[in-house]
Amino acid sequence: MSGARRADAPLKLRGAAAYGTDLAAEGMLWGALVPSPIAHGRIRSIDLAPARALPGVVAIGADDLAGLRPKGAPPSETPIFPSEEVVYRAQPVAAVAAPTRALAREAARRVRIDLEPLEVWGSIDDLLPEWPEDGAPRTGPLNAHVHARHGDLEGAFGSADLVFAETYRTSGVHQVPLEPHACLAWVDGDRWTVETSTQTPFGCREDVASTLGIPESQLVVNGSWVGGAFGAKGSALLEPYALLLAKASGRPVKLQLSYPEEFQLGRSTLPSVIRIESAVRGRTVVGRRVRLVLDTGASLPGRDFTLGYSAGFLLGPYSIPAVEVEGYALRTHKPPFGPHRAPFVPQCTFAIESHTDHLARRLGLDPVEFRRASVWTEGSTTGLGQTVGPFGLDAALARASAIARAWREHLPPGHGIGIAGGFWSTGTGAGGEARLRLTPTELWIEQGEREIGSGSVIRGIAVGVEATLGLPPGTVRVAFLDTAHAPFDSGVFGSRTVGALGQAAEKAAEALRAELGRRCGRPEAESAKLTLRPGPDGLEVDLGDRRRPVRELLTAAELADGGLKVEGRHYGRSGTIDERRVLEGSFHPFNDFVGAAHVAEVAVDPEIGSVEVVRYAAIHDAGRVVDPVTARAGIEGGVAMGIGTALLEETQWGPDGRLENPSLLDYRLPTLAEVPRLEVEFIEGFPGAGPRGAKGLGEPPIVPVPAAIANAVFDAVGVPVFELPMTSERVARALKRL
Amino acid sequence: MSAVGATLNVNGRPISLAEVPDDERLLDTLRWRLHLRGTKEGCRSGGCGACTVLIDGRPTLSCLTLTRELEGRGVTTIEGAPDLPAGRVVISAFETEGAVQCGYCTPGFVMALTGLLGRTPPDRRSPERLLRELQGNLCRCTGYAAIARAVERAHREAP
Repeated sequence: MSGARRADAPLKLRGAAAYGTDLAAEGMLWGALVPSPIAHGRIRSIDLAPARALPGVVAIGADDLAGLRPKGAPPSETPIFPSEEVVYRAQPVAAVAAPTRALAREAARRVRIDLEPLEVWGSIDDLLPEWPEDGAPRTGPLNAHVHARHGDLEGAFGSADLVFAETYRTSGVHQVPLEPHACLAWVDGDRWTVETSTQTPFGCREDVASTLGIPESQLVVNGSWVGGAFGAKGSALLEPYALLLAKASGRPVKLQLSYPEEFQLGRSTLPSVIRIESAVRGRTVVGRRVRLVLDTGASLPGRDFTLGYSAGFLLGPYSIPAVEVEGYALRTHKPPFGPHRAPFVPQCTFAIESHTDHLARRLGLDPVEFRRASVWTEGSTTGLGQTVGPFGLDAALARASAIARAWREHLPPGHGIGIAGGFWSTGTGAGGEARLRLTPTELWIEQGEREIGSGSVIRGIAVGVEATLGLPPGTVRVAFLDTAHAPFDSGVFGSRTVGALGQAAEKAAEALRAELGRRCGRPEAESAKLTLRPGPDGLEVDLGDRRRPVRELLTAAELADGGLKVEGRHYGRSGTIDERRVLEGSFHPFNDFVGAAHVAEVAVDPEIGSVEVVRYAAIHDAGRVVDPVTARAGIEGGVAMGIGTALLEETQWGPDGRLENPSLLDYRLPTLAEVPRLEVEFIEGFPGAGPRGAKGLGEPPIVPVPAAIANAVFDAVGVPVFELPMTSERVARALKRL
Repeated sequence: MSAVGATLNVNGRPISLAEVPDDERLLDTLRWRLHLRGTKEGCRSGGCGACTVLIDGRPTLSCLTLTRELEGRGVTTIEGAPDLPAGRVVISAFETEGAVQCGYCTPGFVMALTGLLGRTPPDRRSPERLLRELQGNLCRCTGYAAIARAVERAHREAP
């Protein structure tokens, strides 16, 4: 199957796609959040009167919530405005709306906030002074703790020839979607509506409904075009505030984060420390203990999915007979932690794959052959006792090795080559529904998600429908409906869209084919051969021996009502883990196993420590590649983002909980200058559960990047760098320790 | 702060603006007075390039440009790009090479490249130089690979 041009490109190239920032309504007010000036403090008073004294300004705070939320609504689990204590800097303590944006900012500045400062937990290192060199972390403010174990760990470590232990650190990285969070809200009687830049319209509806205490049936979420998301727009953020301001003012309210606000409030990833100990006998790792300490900021206890999920990745992708993993999500006075493309797995992979390379080096083994001796293949068992499905990492590693050998023949001095493997689990477990609408001339997929950039919605979910019905690529159109009109879907996250929503659409296509067969008087068994094709006068059903115009097959009621509608559902089943191996907290099973091996060639300047990626190859097991153009584009983007995580990007938090670099001038993103020419290859033959055997591809491309670059840096300079990002300063410091 | 009128030419049409405060940015004039919201608001501080427009043919960050200083000047936005020969080539190259993903950086890239091509005759430009001059435009989705292919194509095809 070949790719088709994207249907959204002409609209976007005309400047005609309305993003969250572009939303506007007659008579709208501009909203602004009132930020806490400190990271931790007891609230003495918050005085909104000076803001309210400005002309046309509406201001709301904690005291106003009871009057704005519906009568009898249960208290919100998510704090809207704090009434006793602020727990991170820039936490919204009130919100204002005004006829102009400038006046809204001015009103927010005028709110008088009186706080009694309290002790700030600025970093996880302050909380765990004795970690990680020995034993478990001391007591700290835990949001979550997970612990799993399997096999004879004491035996493995007791009888080891070598115990190899290392500690890795990673910094916070921000998704930095170029479009900041933005929405427009209005309230009409008991009907609440928000248009917003979101990657989960239904998830947003659920979040907002529970936060505001309104029934989901009275709330409509309508997604705008999304100017990048990468996990940042996966749950509600501004929507409850915009709706409350709209309720209070009786006007539509636009709320949009400035970039400094986006950097602070945008639910980014925070720092971590990862400790790995491997017990080696001969040439084999026989035991491994891994500890992950994750800064989760002011996240609510028990709400974090990331810790158990990420910790599971620290046990792979190799078979080791005895393993233990422990994860600690610590509470600090930073904004709540959020998911960033393949949440935390590039960081975990940096640690595991750097460690694996160092271990191979220590044992005098070829790093790829060392990996291939124990890498998971179909039928392997994970550390958590799950059976691995079709998984092409071994084949990808073999190919990566061949590429690296070829590159090494012409390697200039000062350059190094590194290889890393990585894996991701496509989230086909989260379910969804899609509806097909067939008119005499067009076939539409009616659904509730939004295209966030990767092409998974505008293109990916159409591929299985086109293939099922024999239509040429690019002929099926995607309709973007609001939550009141679209069938339910879980959201565009977890690389699930093509695998889950795409499968729902494909099932609808099968049902449509059967229905058309019935209407043509064909028995069920024969309808599988039926196809749709564009004809001179609209779509036709091709029955093999004859054709019939779709127009003749629709009832009068269907013709009047927009066409024949058929729904498809996909509620996938996840794999299962062996719960006996879980001692505390919750871990999560994987779905499709998606593997990738990357090769990086870097040039390192030994004087200043700067690292340049000069050449890169990404070899991916994506199951069956159903749309090569979109698949390649996703890999190109993921690798670039990974280069940012590896070399450039870092949110710098002060001990007072202040973000010290909340701008693009101080938080560096990869530009055209940092991105090398890239070779992309696909390994096929390891099908996933998605349409036609596809596996998701949104997140896997970023996973091995920091590790592959770290291994290349080590190859170039002969010393390891244990911290992300590998800035010039950190590389230079590592070189001085030589 | 004072507010006087300003007259400029936007996408080939003369526009008279009343009461322009002296700190009003061209970005806001375009988006909120003239409803030309194809020009994207990103960082508002010159760091991302999403708001790039042409002023008398030269690529310019509209977030750092004061409207009042543009008296009598010509502004071209993404909405006016198809009217320029170079603009048509760039738009077609971006579509052909799949250089559009989320699309938020797209108007800025299109305008920057259109301006560079329009101002430089073919014998004085090269893809490498064009790519160097586009380093101020950030993209988070494509990894720049498809954009680089589009730049090469536009370079080949532009008048």
